[in-house]
Amino acid sequence: MNKVKYQILKSAFFILFLIVGLSSCNHDKTKPGYAYMPDMYYSLAYNANSENPVFKNKMTNQMPVPGTIARGHMPYPYQAKNYLDQIAAGNELMNPVEINLQTLAEGKVQFDIYCMSCHGELGDGNGYLYTSKLYPMKPTSLIESYVQSKKDGEIFHVITVGSLSGLMGAHASQINAEDRWKIINYIRNDLAKK
Amino acid sequence: MCTYHKIKMKLIKHFVFLTTLLLFTTMTITKIQAQEGKDLFTVCAACHTIGGGKLIGPDLKGVNDRQDEAWLIKFIQNSQALVQAGDEIAVKLFAENNNIPMPPNNLTDDQVRTLLKYIEEFDATKVVASTVQEKPAETVSENIIEPSYLRKADARKYGTTFIIVLILIMLALADLFVTRFIKAKFVHLIVILIAIFIMGEIIVIEAQGIGRQQYYEPEQPIAFSHKIHAGQNKIDCLYCHSTATKSMHAGIPSTQLCMNCHTVVKSGKITGTEEIAKIYKSLETQTPIEWIKVHNVPDHVFFSHAQHVEVGKISCNECHGPVETMDRMMQVSDLSMGWCIDCHRTREVQFTNNFYKDYKKLHEEINSGKRSRVTVDLVGGEDCQKCHY
Repeated sequence: MNKVKYQILKSAFFILFLIVGLSSCNHDKTKPGYAYMPDMYYSLAYNANSENPVFKNKMTNQMPVPGTIARGHMPYPYQAKNYLDQIAAGNELMNPVEINLQTLAEGKVQFDIYCMSCHGELGDGNGYLYTSKLYPMKPTSLIESYVQSKKDGEIFHVITVGSLSGLMGAHASQINAEDRWKIINYIRNDLAKK
Repeated sequence: MCTYHKIKMKLIKHFVFLTTLLLFTTMTITKIQAQEGKDLFTVCAACHTIGGGKLIGPDLKGVNDRQDEAWLIKFIQNSQALVQAGDEIAVKLFAENNNIPMPPNNLTDDQVRTLLKYIEEFDATKVVASTVQEKPAETVSENIIEPSYLRKADARKYGTTFIIVLILIMLALADLFVTRFIKAKFVHLIVILIAIFIMGEIIVIEAQGIGRQQYYEPEQPIAFSHKIHAGQNKIDCLYCHSTATKSMHAGIPSTQLCMNCHTVVKSGKITGTEEIAKIYKSLETQTPIEWIKVHNVPDHVFFSHAQHVEVGKISCNECHGPVETMDRMMQVSDLSMGWCIDCHRTREVQFTNNFYKDYKKLHEEINSGKRSRVTVDLVGGEDCQKCHY
């Protein structure tokens, strides 16, 4: 009687061992897996892009309070898709970046990341997305007189809030103001003279 | 009679041949012209539609009936010249369209005529059908060689080996105590020892994987493919993850950024409109898309993208693997501490960065006897974020 009990216990132990062994080897790639003693793995503070139960809209990243200006940011008063504002930006905004070899090189780096896919390596509007027919509309050539005759501030306006047609979106969130001026310098002094 | 008939037949044959030839040539010419007109119109399409309503400029449907050709050619080539010359229609049009000038177009008279012909013959219903059929050129080769990281991910499946070894142990134990089939007991011992050794190794490897997420590949709310965006479309990583050079986080692009292209691109090659429609829905309802973070390090680890990407000049692939081949994002590196340390021990510091110029200056001042000691504040010890990050 005792022997039978012992054998049942033994086989139960093996089955348990098997289940544990099997489940620990389960590599489900869609699950992050387990953490071992995760004492300091997860901080109490909310991470930048995580959900947040404190706020009504459940976001940790909140918009700035109305009437406040974030450090290092200049408010931009000109409206998108408004031709008069674009002209005003052209007249009122001045390019603060000095033109030298270093800033031109920095402008090229920014241009190659943010502009080249559409406007092309040479700025002639034949970017890869257009020439491969992945994007149906021809981007504007940056080296012909239409863009070249515009003031720096007007080009700055288009990069910041997007083009009049709305086909080119606002790039203010991706490129900071100084880099935008550097890109303009690069287009004018390097690309257009090639 | 017979010869007459023959000649007649010959003539008919010739006539048929010539007409078909003429028909074909005209068809090809019109086809080529239509294609050329279509290509030319891609520039106009930024501001104009044909029968689709007013955008920035007026709807061009029936423009050939509204104005005469000579005037249209002049206006399309350089509209501002006409406005400044005081042309009545041009000035009126300019005022009607909020004084937004139409850019000059560097086209010959014949090219403008082709363009006008294209606009005249444009049939909106036909084009909708043809754009759906027209798939963009396949640039990524279809015969994909399975990337090495995937092979490694699959090679980690030790489950079967573990079970076989376990069964071996059970058989050896059963034989040792119950059936006693093999008399020599050291055979059991050797089998059990080897099996335990293999099991131990598997357990160690598996245990190391706990808390790490190598080959983690969660399902995202939108079936976004890096293979299409970074691989096929050749868009720079930083175009979307632009904060990687400026911030601790590489950042998830906002829905608004997707719209830089997807205002126009409304249908994908593989999933059609289904997945792209989710972007529009997110914009309409103002609810952010809840992407699932793939690369997690414990919160007690401080990792800054800016330090590695901007200062260290490390390319994205070095840590994130061949992202441009992945349809669904997968964590390729194990992001363990050993992995970090291995790289820190072998990689050379980029002294071209401005930060090191301060150190160089201090060294020169010490060497020339100008300075006797260097205090912590001179090497950034007074920066707030050195402690308060």
